[in-house]
Amino acid sequence: MNKLIGTMLVLFVLFGALAGCAAPEPTKAPPPAPTRAPATSVPPAATKPPATAAPAPTTAPTAAPVQAPVKIVYWRALSGAPGNAQEELAKRFNAAQKEVQVEVQFQGTYPELRRKLQAALAARTTPDLVMLDSPQMPYFAKNGALAPLDDFAKGADGVDLKNFIPGLLGDSYYDGKLYAMPFARSTPILYYNRDMFKAAGLPDRAPETWEEFYDFCKKLTKKDATPARVGYAVQMGATTAHWYFQELLYAYGSDVSDDKFKVLLDQPEAIAAAKFLQDMVKEGVVVPGTGPDGAQGEFTNQRAGMHFGSTGSLVNIISTSKFQVGVGFMPAAKRRQVPIGGSVIAVLSASPKEKQAAAWKFLKFMTSTESNVYFVQKTGYMPISTSAVNSAEMKEFMTKNPAFKVAVDQLQFVRPQASIIAVPESTEIFRQLVEKLTVGLVDPATAMKEATAALTKAYNESFK
Amino acid sequence: MGKNPFAKPASQPPFLHQMLGLTRYHRVERLAFLALIAPNFILFGVFTFWPLLYNLYLSFTKWNMIVPNPTWIGLDNYAAMIQDPIFWRVLWNTIYLATGSITIRLVMALALALVLNQKLAGRDVYRAIIFSPTFTTGAAIALVWAWIFHKDLGLLRLPLSWLGLPSPNWLADVNWTIPALIIVTIWRGLGYDMVIFLAGLQGIPAELYEAARVDGAGRWALFRHITLPLLSPITFFLIVTSIIGALQVFDIVAVMTQGGPMNSSKVYVYYVYENAFKFFKVGYAAALSMVLFLITLAITIFQTRLSRRWVHY
Repeated sequence: MNKLIGTMLVLFVLFGALAGCAAPEPTKAPPPAPTRAPATSVPPAATKPPATAAPAPTTAPTAAPVQAPVKIVYWRALSGAPGNAQEELAKRFNAAQKEVQVEVQFQGTYPELRRKLQAALAARTTPDLVMLDSPQMPYFAKNGALAPLDDFAKGADGVDLKNFIPGLLGDSYYDGKLYAMPFARSTPILYYNRDMFKAAGLPDRAPETWEEFYDFCKKLTKKDATPARVGYAVQMGATTAHWYFQELLYAYGSDVSDDKFKVLLDQPEAIAAAKFLQDMVKEGVVVPGTGPDGAQGEFTNQRAGMHFGSTGSLVNIISTSKFQVGVGFMPAAKRRQVPIGGSVIAVLSASPKEKQAAAWKFLKFMTSTESNVYFVQKTGYMPISTSAVNSAEMKEFMTKNPAFKVAVDQLQFVRPQASIIAVPESTEIFRQLVEKLTVGLVDPATAMKEATAALTKAYNESFK
Repeated sequence: MGKNPFAKPASQPPFLHQMLGLTRYHRVERLAFLALIAPNFILFGVFTFWPLLYNLYLSFTKWNMIVPNPTWIGLDNYAAMIQDPIFWRVLWNTIYLATGSITIRLVMALALALVLNQKLAGRDVYRAIIFSPTFTTGAAIALVWAWIFHKDLGLLRLPLSWLGLPSPNWLADVNWTIPALIIVTIWRGLGYDMVIFLAGLQGIPAELYEAARVDGAGRWALFRHITLPLLSPITFFLIVTSIIGALQVFDIVAVMTQGGPMNSSKVYVYYVYENAFKFFKVGYAAALSMVLFLITLAITIFQTRLSRRWVHY
């Protein structure tokens, strides 16, 4: 028995050390939204208590001659390059002026940050600014957690809202009020394996339409090869499935839901889109992307010839692929519309007025042309304003990175995500819908009707 | 067991009354007693009893943790649960996973403990290897197994192909997700169960076996009439803790399947988490937790009752 315990202890220490080594996340940056980083990534700041945003009643008399700087706290998500770029921008902001000093606190992935924000709101110790995965903004705004920014935007220290790209600014609004500013925005683009395309005798370009996409998939599929090859692996999972599925629905002329949150998935054009996806799966030229690395793993492992991914995954995908990667627009059908993803920055309503004003100053700085150009170049996220797109630096950057130019060119087709995505349960319902269509092979009309009912119920219960 | 010096006869008057009438010596003794239990009791109070009561309160409310205060809605959450098909699905998944995992694991653990209780070359190494999953984190286990289960690239397809069997699409087929989770939970918990069984086996006095052998008992009789009855407290302990553990499986589901596809692997605690932190239905999640608490309590009481028939101390 003693010997046993001894062996156990030795192994315990050994494995403990190994586990310790393995704990930090691999250095590759997680793809920017909406693909969430693996649930295992524990942010180093996880245990850091949120800085209290409560006003100190004795400090900062408004008319004092020598004013101490207003201190504000910003909770950010995103690690790796987009994280470092935010830290650098905050440093520049603090160095450039003395009235406002911002402290940036890393809070993990979007879902982790959202959970902490939820807890912070319950505990009433919120930061002044938060980064939010854009579809989550309306729910927090609706529940009174966010401060409307219209007065700041139109005020003396305001910004020209017309300068922002309309498709990117659109989902900063809830109920007619501006509640956030676009920051790290991304769109889905089509990635393809140029080597596989060549071997299949396909042209070196992305398919233009969904019909052509189907045709390409057929030509790419090799069922007898080991491992088997297919045209495309469908994105699954609660964080990504809805985003790419929305694009297919938009292409077929469905708006998914209207601005009154009426769900339109049971309409003929939506059902046609669902049937189209299922037909490709039934034929075996498209498969559910259920592997451990999801659809992206199937693509980088050369099991799927095409892939939809965030623009922000560009660097990641090219660096992990042992083949030539090509990029193109998402396929069109009746029309070409691409849902915007990524994050916005919002100001908390619990912050006192002078902190909100200070937060606005920081927000204005973060979304300025220079800051945006810097952020885009460091990360691969989308430029958010016309002035950023047209700046000389951005043009030079696009010349050097033609793949990135595709993403920017696609900006003319972007639109905010469907209104119903703001309902917290919706992404899980969409995920189950995609599973029903591609794994369960449930009749498309039935699956779409069930999803319509489930989404309507969720809206009535938690959003109405 | 020695006589407890602090124990008082049951006929003593109530506590407060007693305090007032006590001698100084006894009063100090009482205070010492309270001071000694206080750290534990206060921590339990703050981190276990209070949250439990608060959770009970929340289960009668609708709240998203974003608006300042919960809204009282009475029994609506419990009524909604009865009509929620996913709740029943999740309950079934959890029972399926628990039953499959525990029965197979305990039998295997006992068999392994019996083998590794023999004098074998390198037995300490085997013991250590089998025990090692116990101190590996759930997320790491889930990531590795997700690869092992891959239909075309996974390791598990090899032994299946030797047997001429096709590899199921483990994590993408609604019929295979729970069996996959059963395999992982068995692998993960086997070592711990085996070690506890081993300790139990080594606690059985060798004289009993000798005496039985002298009386002409065979191997099966030894196992049936000495090993099994004398291991029964250990078996009972493992059954109770395994059931409680199996009802709380979360990490491997969160990493491997997130409950999919089509809710086929959604287990109870994952559904609670989803409601509270993804759907912002904190009241509903609290009600689900209360039901899980009651289920666990009922099972444990039932087990304890039942144990009087088969556990020999």
